[in-house]
Amino acid sequence: MKLNLHWVITPLIWLAFTLQSIAGEDLTVSPQNYNHYYRQGSVALTSPVYRDFATSPLFYRGSGIAFSSSWLRRSLHRERLFSMGLELGAVSAFAPEGEFIRPLSVGMFHQLSLYYHQLWRLEALSDHRNNVKLGGALQTSQHIRSNPSLLNNALGLENLTHLMASAQLTRDISRTEPRKGYFFLFSTMLKPVKRDLRFQANVGLLNFNYRPGYAYSYDAELVGLETSPLSWVLADYRWSLNGWRISTQIEYISYLPNGNARSIAYVWEAAHAPGRHEAFQMASHRIQYTMFFHTAKR
Amino acid sequence: MSRIIVIIAIVIFSSCELLLFEPDMGSRDPLENFDYLWNEADKKYSYFELKGIDWNQVRATYRPMLSSDSGEEELFEVLAAMLNELRDDHTNLIAPFNISRYNVALQGPENFRQRTLEEFYIPRAWFTGAFVHDFLADSLVGYVRYASFMSDFSDEQLDFVINRYAHTRGLILDLRANGGGSLFNVPKILGRFAHEKTLVGYTITRNGPRHTDFGEREPFYITPYDGARYAGPVVVLIDRGSYSATTFFALATKAFPQIILMGDTTGGGGGLPNGGQLPNGWTYRFSISQLLDLNWANYAEDGVPPDIQASFDWTDLTRDEILDKAVERIVTR
Repeated sequence: MKLNLHWVITPLIWLAFTLQSIAGEDLTVSPQNYNHYYRQGSVALTSPVYRDFATSPLFYRGSGIAFSSSWLRRSLHRERLFSMGLELGAVSAFAPEGEFIRPLSVGMFHQLSLYYHQLWRLEALSDHRNNVKLGGALQTSQHIRSNPSLLNNALGLENLTHLMASAQLTRDISRTEPRKGYFFLFSTMLKPVKRDLRFQANVGLLNFNYRPGYAYSYDAELVGLETSPLSWVLADYRWSLNGWRISTQIEYISYLPNGNARSIAYVWEAAHAPGRHEAFQMASHRIQYTMFFHTAKR
Repeated sequence: MSRIIVIIAIVIFSSCELLLFEPDMGSRDPLENFDYLWNEADKKYSYFELKGIDWNQVRATYRPMLSSDSGEEELFEVLAAMLNELRDDHTNLIAPFNISRYNVALQGPENFRQRTLEEFYIPRAWFTGAFVHDFLADSLVGYVRYASFMSDFSDEQLDFVINRYAHTRGLILDLRANGGGSLFNVPKILGRFAHEKTLVGYTITRNGPRHTDFGEREPFYITPYDGARYAGPVVVLIDRGSYSATTFFALATKAFPQIILMGDTTGGGGGLPNGGQLPNGWTYRFSISQLLDLNWANYAEDGVPPDIQASFDWTDLTRDEILDKAVERIVTR
């Protein structure tokens, strides 16, 4: 597909500057406009599912664990987040029941990812309880898959990189007054607490994928002992600009008196990377627990 | 209100990908599986032209043998027979209850007997990593057996072997019944016999739907190892059991005047195999590239012929005639 990138990039740049100017109008120094700096550590249980048409028409599903470390700078008007993540998972193909023995293909699905987003408050849609922010995100993820039952194609690699539009709604659900709470026969006094419920959606605008060539495996140039096995494996890989990626996240954040916070989130994402010849599809469900360490307020 | 939003969102997004992706293609239907495998091979197999295979005719022959009611055993037999029409040992069908193979080694006589070698030639052989080796003919000849290119070895291990036979008149490298393995072990060994960067062949890979669609020729160079190397003549023993990476090795020796091939034509296997899975969960592989010699000829798939033909005489199991002939050639040289 031929695509003039100017038609895509120009509106994005315009949008970024517009949002930045909207956010910039109101940045007087008040307690509300403080920038809060956080270091975040997350652990998540994941349920990945993928299908690589280059090697199999079957979906592979499984479970895994993911870790990520993030740097967050957040104010009422603006938010910046940089995150690095590692996911380790085991998957198996859901093959139909066999007449004699059910085929079993077990593999590993690992993912290294980098994520950055920058969001600006949209005043028109925000009020004292709801904060709507819009902006852009950049996400790149490198998958490393292994599946011995695919023999010479036991190793699967692909990179998915996306420039995304991002929207975030944060609703303040803080308890502002002490309240009596009941738990079966027990009652307790619930103290005021700051809490947020946050929903975020990202949609890929520019979707790049680095996928194998026509025959998946490729007999590339060999220069004696100087040949790097990795460059040999990747010799026929090509970048393509096609496909899509979307992700959503619902996060419940509870703040502690010392400024730290913790959250529980449900993260869902799906991607489709047609590549040049045969598509790769993936989705992931994640239950994620995050600790926010408040490091500074300026 | 917020709880309701959370619940609705989880319900919506927990299965959302099922709406976005094509349906699950898992199927036990014999005809669907036949068509899938036939199409994959049609799109990617690399030796239709060389072997004169009419793949459409193969489909016309085998597909009518199946119906939607065919059992798995019947399906396996038909798919395996179809793949064996490719006459290629890089072709397998793997079901949970059976594995198909063409077994090219059966296309020629067997020319290697381990017991004869161990009992009458190298009874006190040294084992250094993947190499079994010893002196022959009053220490005039070094003998090195490398049974599989699957077996990795360190530079230090190969240094030891090369240095041990540095002062012999010649070296015998026995690659009979070596079914192949890692291509990266080929330049590791041949680099011990190279004096300069040497072009030894090319490969081409399918890159389009037509049987003649191939990408550009990719050169295969051997570079000299910066350490222990062997300067004398080398006799490489091969037979029909020498397959895949061993065929690459045999073809590459053609670029080195001090190396000769002795025995029987190799089994072939010049194509890099490609693995995949059928809708019923069985897996398969077949070749997707071709190995070319320096003149761009692709005969290696049918085997690399020896420079000196020799065969094992199975009426006398105390002698290995191929090995005797190699020793004689080095000693009387």
